[in-house]
Amino acid sequence: MAKKTTGLHALTGNLLADGRVVFLAINGGWSDSLDIARLARGENDAAELEAEGAEAVRANVIVDPYLVEVEVGQGQLVPVELRERMRIRGPSVNLEFNSRPNGQAAIAA
Amino acid sequence: MYRYDEFDATFVRQRVKQFRGQVERRAAGELSEDEFRPLRLMNGLYLQLHAYMLRVAVPYGTLSARQMRKLAFIADSYDRGYGHFTTRQNIQYNWPRLPDVPDILGHLAEVEMHAIQTSGNCIRNVTADHWAGVAADEVEDPRPYAELMRQWSSLHPEFSFLPRKFKIAVTGSQADRAAIRYHDIGLRLKKNTQGEAGFEVFVGGGMGRTPMLAARVRDWLARDDLLTYLEAIMRVFNLHGRRDNKYKARIKILVHALGAEEFSAQVEEEFARTGAPRIMPGEGELKRIAAYFAPPGYDALRDDDPALALRLEKHKDFAGWVERNVSAHGVPGYAIVNISLKPIGGIPGDASADQMRAVADLAESFSLDEIRISHEQNLVLPNVRKRDLFAVWLSLGEHGLADANIGLASDIIACPGLDYCGLATARSIPVAQDISKRLGEPARQREIGDMKIKISGCINACGHHHAGHIGILGLEKRGREYYQITLGGSGDESASVGEIIGPGFSSENLSGAVETIVDTYVELRQNGETFLEAYRRVGPEPFKEAVYATH
Repeated sequence: MAKKTTGLHALTGNLLADGRVVFLAINGGWSDSLDIARLARGENDAAELEAEGAEAVRANVIVDPYLVEVEVGQGQLVPVELRERMRIRGPSVNLEFNSRPNGQAAIAA
Repeated sequence: MYRYDEFDATFVRQRVKQFRGQVERRAAGELSEDEFRPLRLMNGLYLQLHAYMLRVAVPYGTLSARQMRKLAFIADSYDRGYGHFTTRQNIQYNWPRLPDVPDILGHLAEVEMHAIQTSGNCIRNVTADHWAGVAADEVEDPRPYAELMRQWSSLHPEFSFLPRKFKIAVTGSQADRAAIRYHDIGLRLKKNTQGEAGFEVFVGGGMGRTPMLAARVRDWLARDDLLTYLEAIMRVFNLHGRRDNKYKARIKILVHALGAEEFSAQVEEEFARTGAPRIMPGEGELKRIAAYFAPPGYDALRDDDPALALRLEKHKDFAGWVERNVSAHGVPGYAIVNISLKPIGGIPGDASADQMRAVADLAESFSLDEIRISHEQNLVLPNVRKRDLFAVWLSLGEHGLADANIGLASDIIACPGLDYCGLATARSIPVAQDISKRLGEPARQREIGDMKIKISGCINACGHHHAGHIGILGLEKRGREYYQITLGGSGDESASVGEIIGPGFSSENLSGAVETIVDTYVELRQNGETFLEAYRRVGPEPFKEAVYATH
């Protein structure tokens, strides 16, 4: 039996400069928030998202873009897969350190 | 004290310059990601779940105070103020930015460090017993041979694109503290009746989805044949290794497919064919390398210290720490201090930059400027005078580094898991934290005794779960983490692969299941048996019955 899907996808990738997890946003930019991600509801939409991802790769903005299946849960968009939920959420440990920006200069700022 | 020689220093600086150019070309779009990926991996730079990760080599786990301070500086200046010491005696930074990496590598080069051969299908940095050179039970320091292998394998054109990554470990003692039978090649240094050095050679061990213990292919390999013989092994691997299937490409699969006897015969044939001259440097060069590992200037001391005896009597916490964390040194009056990076409920192997600096200060003041990293994700001060143990303990306590739990239930190995790793299928660290809290009360841990719990967040087994007395493998099913338990594994000289006991457990039930296993052991052990001894006597059944009856 085919796996049941939500039919909703967002396009994700990592920023080339720092590897940060981002989503293609409604305004055409890249955001770390899934809330403002542009969503694909079918194959044509998905192909358009992927084309934008490929363009962003050529422009050296992001690396390794791919579609992520998402669903509406508890009033917000969340990825279906555990791995993708972890990518958005960040490490669940070491919060003392992982809430810091990188480097002393950034901390001072 | 070990350091790279002038040739290596120049080579590392050139590599930094080369990588700086590659990063600039990547940023400018002159290199695509497909072109850049192998170049960054050759310099230890991965792209993980949330960010880049830089893996820095710590050759044979040996560091000076100056090098440790540099690691702390990098953690503060380019990362988030901490680092993660790994099961291959490396350190990983979880948050470097790509444009900063050439500068980070430049800082590392200033202290003769780098990230070369920490990734890719090459011979990875060689690991060794973390007590090498100081252990009371050692035949000879294995590190000069590890260094010889590093020099031989670095950028070796024949072995830069192997079928798969290749890991070598070497120990100089009968006791195996380097898990040699879980490596592609494991070497045990020994001496013959004439007092000449040689090696017992094991090939084809590994963790991963197909755990295997390495087979002994030579009981005795003369020291001067070492590199020629290793080259013969690598050639057989290079020729027959499964480049068509990455899951079958490790040498363990080849050894298994051919059979140890046939594999060994092919190696011997290649070894004989290669013939003279052996690719071994002369005595002078070996002595030059060995000089980098020469013992530091030890004082002539009495082995006993009356003041230490008094402190041990008066300070029970100190005595408990000495009992678990201090090991026998080969030189009278000295001791090996094992610093636990496993605080109760903490993250195995993590150290803050402040802690790194504190350990560097202690190494300078009390350990003849030496620090070691163990494959069990702890730190070692290898040269502490017994009369200084109390001062070292007090100072460690000020920095949250005085947990007296080496080798106990809370001394858990855990990979970064799904909190950081792009390959992981489940989290490892929170599981380690739960178990550590559950079993970590000091009296409880001591009552349980020697116990190795090892946790991996995926089938790749970076957390060495196959070698755990209690091993835990994190998997994902329908969007939820669950955990398989194996029992009876060991990475020491009595190496064994753990056996799966049955269906997995949810993250909520896992630490309870582990506690049930531990309680079952405490109940059934006889005459001071360790967990492993008891398990080997009774098998898995009593543990399975107890666990599945209650969880």
